[in-house]
Amino acid sequence: MWSVIKSVLAAFFGVQKERQRRADFETGRPVVFIAVGVVMTLVLIGLVALVATLAAR
Amino acid sequence: MRTLLVWVAGCWTLAGLSPLALANGWNMPVGVTDLSREIYSLHMTIFWICVAIGVVVFGVMFYSLFRFRRSRGAKADNFHENTTVEVLWTAIPLLILVGMAVPATATLVKMYDASDAELDVMITGQQWRWRYEYLGEDVAFTSNMSTPRAQIRGEEARGEHYLLEVDEPLVLPTNRKVRFLMTADDVIHSWWVPDLAVKQDTIPGFINENWVNIDEPGIYRGQCAELCGMDHGFMPIVVHAMEGEEFDEWLAERKEAAAEEALGVDRDWELDELMERGEAVYGSICASCHQAEGQGAPPAFPSLAGNERLIEDVEWHVQTIVNGVSGTAMPAFRSTLNPVEIAAVATFTRNAWGNDTGDAVQPSEIAEQLAQ
Repeated sequence: MWSVIKSVLAAFFGVQKERQRRADFETGRPVVFIAVGVVMTLVLIGLVALVATLAAR
Repeated sequence: MRTLLVWVAGCWTLAGLSPLALANGWNMPVGVTDLSREIYSLHMTIFWICVAIGVVVFGVMFYSLFRFRRSRGAKADNFHENTTVEVLWTAIPLLILVGMAVPATATLVKMYDASDAELDVMITGQQWRWRYEYLGEDVAFTSNMSTPRAQIRGEEARGEHYLLEVDEPLVLPTNRKVRFLMTADDVIHSWWVPDLAVKQDTIPGFINENWVNIDEPGIYRGQCAELCGMDHGFMPIVVHAMEGEEFDEWLAERKEAAAEEALGVDRDWELDELMERGEAVYGSICASCHQAEGQGAPPAFPSLAGNERLIEDVEWHVQTIVNGVSGTAMPAFRSTLNPVEIAAVATFTRNAWGNDTGDAVQPSEIAEQLAQ
């Protein structure tokens, strides 16, 4: 699970190690990546909203 | 080493150019409000950040091109990826952008804070003039370009403020927060005065807000900054900023004049009075399309001189001025001109250039029509 989160974070950032990419494509299941991606997108939106609210205070 | 020297010299030349750029109007002006100075320094900060990035990026590039050229035996290295470098060139721009966003957002927040204004001015864009209304003061007027058409056609030498002069400037007080409520009657215009750091679209059906607090009395000029039709280039903006006391006097005078004008609606006007007033209104409002001698520019702008329908049908003539003609360039003037001005310009166009109908359209008749 941790390695999936790391891969999604790498995708957010836009840079991934070739070795890790190969590993993901060989062993991972797409559904897991998509689900974690959606959840982390929501987390990111929440974080941005939090920062914006704090800054506007 | 020589390359480095060239770069350092280049940077100093650029730095030396910046006051030159300001003096020649190549750069944006510093302006005359706290906010305009803040925007200027933000602009310069970001400009220098961009210069630094440019120097570093192109410096590394040209240095590499020069130092590792093939004639000196350099060999290309073939590799596919380098995670460290990729992380670096993603993270550094991210930090730079966030670093620029923080002061930029702080300034934006200030720009949007139009609260606690001491004076509200409604600015309305119209094809092709600006209307200013001092809300709650019963003072309103339109501001038209005053550059003579002969200068535009090249028949006369251009004046000092060619295309940047108006018959009635927007008068504002210094050291008071003034809020602008901005909209338009017909199409999208944009009210832009560089020295005030205000450039705001005026959109039909929307009211945008902006504000200024000018600290130096003076004359500030601007233009419409949104392509709005044929005379887009002929609707300049002039702001006359004066000290608070002087402004109060001006406003009181204008209020008195407006009250007098309102009284003028009820009395009967002589033909001569109406003609004189009408000629002035015609010159500032109508002449840009219907031309100085009423000859028009058919087919877009019909001739008024010798126009049979106009001469025969006074009701239709007045209706046309009040409500405009939909589907043509003729706008409705019911909100732009007051009853006295509409009556005067109708009378003028019914009697000038050999139309000679002898009709005197009374302001009271117009006021009645407008009330319906």
